[in-house]
Amino acid sequence: MSGRGARGGRGGRGGGGGFGGGRGGRRAVAANSVPWQMDPTIALDGKPSELFPPYKAIPKAPLLLKKDDRQVSFFLSFREQGHDSPLYTQSRTWATTELTSTSSSLFGSSAKATIDIFEDGVPSYSHKFQQKERTLPDLASRPFAKEFFPGELHSTLDGLDGPSAKRRKITPGTTTQAKTIALSSAEYKSAEDIFGLNPSSAVSAAATQEGEPNYKRALQLLEMVEKKAEDGEDAGILTDDDEDDWVKNNEDEDGNPVAEEDDDFEEDSGDDYNAEQYFDGNQDDDEYDEGGDDGGDYY
Amino acid sequence: MAVIKEKAEFCTLLVDELYGQLPARVYATLFQRGKLSIRLISQFSKLNARQVKNGLCVLQQHNLLFYTVDANSGEAEYSVNHDYAYNLVRTGKILEMVDNSYGPAGRDVMQNLLLLGQTRISDLVAAYQAKINLANSDDAWLNDKKPELVIKSKAQLNSVLCRLIEAELIDVVHSKTFQSAHEIEKQVHKEVMDFYFPNGIKGTKAKVEFEQKVAEGLRKVREESKTLKRKLAQNGGASKRRKLAVGNETNGVPEEEEDLDPALDPRQVIRINYEKCIVELRSRRLVQYVNETLGETTGYVYGQLLKQLTKNTPRCRPDPLMDTLTPEGEKETPSVTTNEILDKVKTSIDLTLGIGKIPSKAISKSAAERLTPFAPKDKIPFMNQDDSDDDEEDGDYSDSDEEMDTKKENGDASVARMSRPEQLRQHLLLLAEGHPGFVRHCGEDEWTIDFKPLMENLRATELDSIIEQTSGRQGLRLTRILRTKGKLGEQALQSLSLMRKVDLQQKMLEMRLAGFAHTQEVPRDNKADPKKSIFLWYCDTEQAYSGLIAKCYATMVHCLQVLEVRRQKEKDVLSLAKRTNVKGKEKDMMRDESYARFAKFLKDEKLLMAEIMRIDDTLALLQDF
Repeated sequence: MSGRGARGGRGGRGGGGGFGGGRGGRRAVAANSVPWQMDPTIALDGKPSELFPPYKAIPKAPLLLKKDDRQVSFFLSFREQGHDSPLYTQSRTWATTELTSTSSSLFGSSAKATIDIFEDGVPSYSHKFQQKERTLPDLASRPFAKEFFPGELHSTLDGLDGPSAKRRKITPGTTTQAKTIALSSAEYKSAEDIFGLNPSSAVSAAATQEGEPNYKRALQLLEMVEKKAEDGEDAGILTDDDEDDWVKNNEDEDGNPVAEEDDDFEEDSGDDYNAEQYFDGNQDDDEYDEGGDDGGDYY
Repeated sequence: MAVIKEKAEFCTLLVDELYGQLPARVYATLFQRGKLSIRLISQFSKLNARQVKNGLCVLQQHNLLFYTVDANSGEAEYSVNHDYAYNLVRTGKILEMVDNSYGPAGRDVMQNLLLLGQTRISDLVAAYQAKINLANSDDAWLNDKKPELVIKSKAQLNSVLCRLIEAELIDVVHSKTFQSAHEIEKQVHKEVMDFYFPNGIKGTKAKVEFEQKVAEGLRKVREESKTLKRKLAQNGGASKRRKLAVGNETNGVPEEEEDLDPALDPRQVIRINYEKCIVELRSRRLVQYVNETLGETTGYVYGQLLKQLTKNTPRCRPDPLMDTLTPEGEKETPSVTTNEILDKVKTSIDLTLGIGKIPSKAISKSAAERLTPFAPKDKIPFMNQDDSDDDEEDGDYSDSDEEMDTKKENGDASVARMSRPEQLRQHLLLLAEGHPGFVRHCGEDEWTIDFKPLMENLRATELDSIIEQTSGRQGLRLTRILRTKGKLGEQALQSLSLMRKVDLQQKMLEMRLAGFAHTQEVPRDNKADPKKSIFLWYCDTEQAYSGLIAKCYATMVHCLQVLEVRRQKEKDVLSLAKRTNVKGKEKDMMRDESYARFAKFLKDEKLLMAEIMRIDDTLALLQDF
């Protein structure tokens, strides 16, 4: 208590001395020259000054003309078809232009370091529907004009370096004749998909009315059924494969498209709590097991 | 073949976008290191040999490589074909162009060729046959995604291919296609030396002869890719008859006419000929310019004129070595008469539109219809285009004045009462007039186009508009002053431009940073003290162009990078949309929020791509047309 008083006293003394000295002119000047003395209504603006003055006119690109729009759509559909071709490799690690040696040496490897455990670490049901990523192009699936490739690449073109190399060795009897035909069906799957894949058309189709195409399709199917019935062969209309499509297509509008997929699981619902068996039990599904390596799910 | 960094980066990213990351990594290595063997690519890129081989196969299939095989070791060395890689970005434009002039069937064939890379004709036919069979099979109607067949029969495919080959949009792959231009030149040099000059070249006369022989040899190599076209031309009677029968109709070829086309040799391997495609794109671009400046009808007339004049133009920019030394007869620029154009103009087009209705007394006939029989000199009047342009033209062509005014006075008939050829003539005269020089009136009722000065003028206009956009009207004015006066010190520039010193300095600095103006330092003495040196401002057009080109590439690279970042951001939604059970019915399967994000992404992707295509428009004008 006493110490505090002493400090306060010292301060007061010093301050007093200062004021005493300045009483003549300096104090008056100081009192009048501060802004709030001269203008009592002033409001202080405490905001920091602006570092980036606002843009006066942000240049805006003109809207897409019909011609531009068509060009872009063609380009994108070309890209989508390219991504569906057997020569496209989906897998990627980091940016391409930064060609660091580590990023390249890890490219296409399935080492633990490249796996995203949050996405792919735990298998889940929806993985069944995911496209299998290719790390190498599937060169064996189509013929090439080999005379325009240097000799050292010919064996690669035959698929001996490719992802399906092992299977090819087991069945060496594939002739070029057979290959050509396999090519054509595979590659034209991609061309067929133009409208299904083209993102612009997907958006526009979804954005406009959804019901109409289905309605048309149903009518068309009905007509065909009637026609077939007249011919007396209605038994063959719904084959096992087609049944899926047929049911799915009609259930789209009900908003209940996964219904029949659930059915599959009710069969072994007794084991539902055992997560591992949940997945093991499903492995008779070829696409999931083989990872679609046989060209089944990419075209 | 030096490639600027931005272009290399863009090509790599484009290959990545279209063909996947594996080929892109190989491509990037080739860009960085030049010509490499497989072993070295593998060493530099840290990919294993198997990956490198697979990547190279994909690149080679899509015509993106040059290679040379060492005769002794059998090892090949690969290098990039960067022009082909860059042209991939024009795919959309080329497909749209083909779609317009050859119908959807032509586009379908073109698109598949682009997708497949180089393809043997028999393979292509087999592939189409399989597709047709699939569509015609009994179960096809059950398939929900029933393909709309664009090509309905083999004969139609053949006819489409024939027409594309005749137009040179498709050409043949031959043994020398995948050697770089430099490599071919070296070979031809050697052949000519061995064959004609075994004792070496002596004297200037022999030198000229040698150069001619080399050019001839090179031309021969180049012609090899046109073998199919030549064969078609030989038995071209059928296709000509068809053309006569069908006339201008491009997308309504009757069935029976298709059989008239000769069958193509199934062993030939074909691919897209980008050079010719770019010629077609240039024509479309010019028509667009005319549409914007002079009106649609005139644009249509110009389109017909261009179609006839560029029929035999294989490339936009003639090769300096091969095309300058051609025999005299071929050197002349082709010209078209008014009647030839009139034959092609559809009768449904109303030619009265778009012509001014000024009484003929108010028009100086001699000036409007004067003939300019000679092409303007190679020196491009860039610098003095705005003020002294007219004077110079008068000076150049005064000798042709007496040829004018031979035309009979057409009275003061109004536009509507003119005959159709006369209306067409008015449109052509309109084109021949004015600054960019769309058309040259080279003889009585004969018309031609000098592409080189025309494109040079358009390029200058483009540069001017870009300068105006970036540094305003003052900047453009200063550039023009500097162009006419050459190099100027700051004082002189200030007095000429009548600007305040502060404004002037700021503007010039701005333009210096943008790369439109440059400075030269002239020291007064040996010490080169910057305080005493004189600084001169000047505008170097070539430098401005190359700066602009680099900037264009950089912007395109940026667009692709932004796209990639967006893709990373929306990764979960995109992978959801790619799932096989979601694809095709995104709206039903995805939650509203995801669907909105997905749709937004697609919209943005489209805009980014459109941006790239627009920049490519500028770039094409600056360096390709």
